[in-house]
Amino acid sequence: MSGYGTMPATVTMGVPYICGQCGSEISLKPGDIIQCRECGYRILYKKRTNKVVQFEAR
Amino acid sequence: MAYARTRDNSRKPTISVRTLEPDYMVFELKNTDPSSANALRRAMVAEVPTIAIDLVEMENNTTVLNDEFLAHRLGLIPLVSRNAVYWKRPFEWSGDNDIIETAFSLDVMCEQEGVMDVTSNDLVPLEPDAGVVPVNYHSATEKPIVICKLRRGQHLKLVARARKGIGKDHAKFIPVATAVFQYKAQITLSASAMADMTDDEKQAFVHSDPSKTFKFNPITRMIEVENEESYMYDEECVVKARELGRPDLVTIRQVQDHFIFRVEGTGVLEVKSIVRQGIEILHKKCVDLETLAREAVAIAKGQPLPERAPAAGSDMGPGGGHMDQMGGGQDMGPGGHMGMGGGDMGPGGHMGGMYGGPPGPYGGGPGMGMYR
Repeated sequence: MSGYGTMPATVTMGVPYICGQCGSEISLKPGDIIQCRECGYRILYKKRTNKVVQFEAR
Repeated sequence: MAYARTRDNSRKPTISVRTLEPDYMVFELKNTDPSSANALRRAMVAEVPTIAIDLVEMENNTTVLNDEFLAHRLGLIPLVSRNAVYWKRPFEWSGDNDIIETAFSLDVMCEQEGVMDVTSNDLVPLEPDAGVVPVNYHSATEKPIVICKLRRGQHLKLVARARKGIGKDHAKFIPVATAVFQYKAQITLSASAMADMTDDEKQAFVHSDPSKTFKFNPITRMIEVENEESYMYDEECVVKARELGRPDLVTIRQVQDHFIFRVEGTGVLEVKSIVRQGIEILHKKCVDLETLAREAVAIAKGQPLPERAPAAGSDMGPGGGHMDQMGGGQDMGPGGHMGMGGGDMGPGGHMGGMYGGPPGPYGGGPGMGMYR
């Protein structure tokens, strides 16, 4: 997998998710089991992007 | 106008205003045909430019309504569009001093218990000098338009960009709530048929009309036309007259050159301005059509192009794209300048329908054969 540029920051830092049961924030890296570390719930939600999103008002 | 001339058979339409309020107008249009009346109506609905939110940049939205849904709702908010005539549309040629866009910001966080409204009053104009605000903006008497509702902790933050547009492009740009016309009704009652009718029969006839067009005069004991304009052309009274065995009692005719217009605005523009702009747009379309048709004929015959009317600009060579300066240019589509294909038309070139490029939404279409 060399020659594809630098690794995305998310691989090292992890992506934050919200637990569907207790609402706590969990950071997941590739290969991690999808499970809340606080309550063990297995449904996690991705957070909204902090980028601006454009929509046509039509 | 270079080509404006009076023809012997031309009519002179007149308008007389009956009621004029900022948001409502009733006027009569006389001495023209139904197609022209309908063209005016359609010009007012679909061609008079207004300003509306066209692009929404969402920064945060934790409300129950999704981004697309809110963007659509924002687009439908009527904005005061008095300056729309001075603006340019996004695709029009524009200089540094031309305005094509203004923006609003909206940033509402609900900190209270219960439900909170996000309304058109929460839209903050980023360029207050542009004079574009939602209708009834911070009005003391009128309630604002609710965009969304928030519960505690919910947050909505966005920037909305407003642009100029026309109703043909999207319904949110339509400046009128209703723009309708009716034919003037001409109702004649036959006195001879009335003579041998009983009062009960006359009453029955009067009450047969659901829209109170007639009344029974108890003094003269005659049926009178109370309000011919309220007649809905439902023919209920005609059916009743026939039922009573008096088919000749009433004759109703639509006067085909007398129209009653009722135009109701949404508040984005004054109705008198909508009507005026509608007429101007219609006139411009006619002038453009005549100019281009004459040029098409000149090109086809290999003659020099006739001189352009001053308003239409004159710096364009023959066959050049005259789309951008012709006002209705954008509306003309690919077939705009009649697609006469330059001067390569041979001497035997017939002009019946084979020319005229791909038909745009306007113009183009089946050649100019009738001008030959």
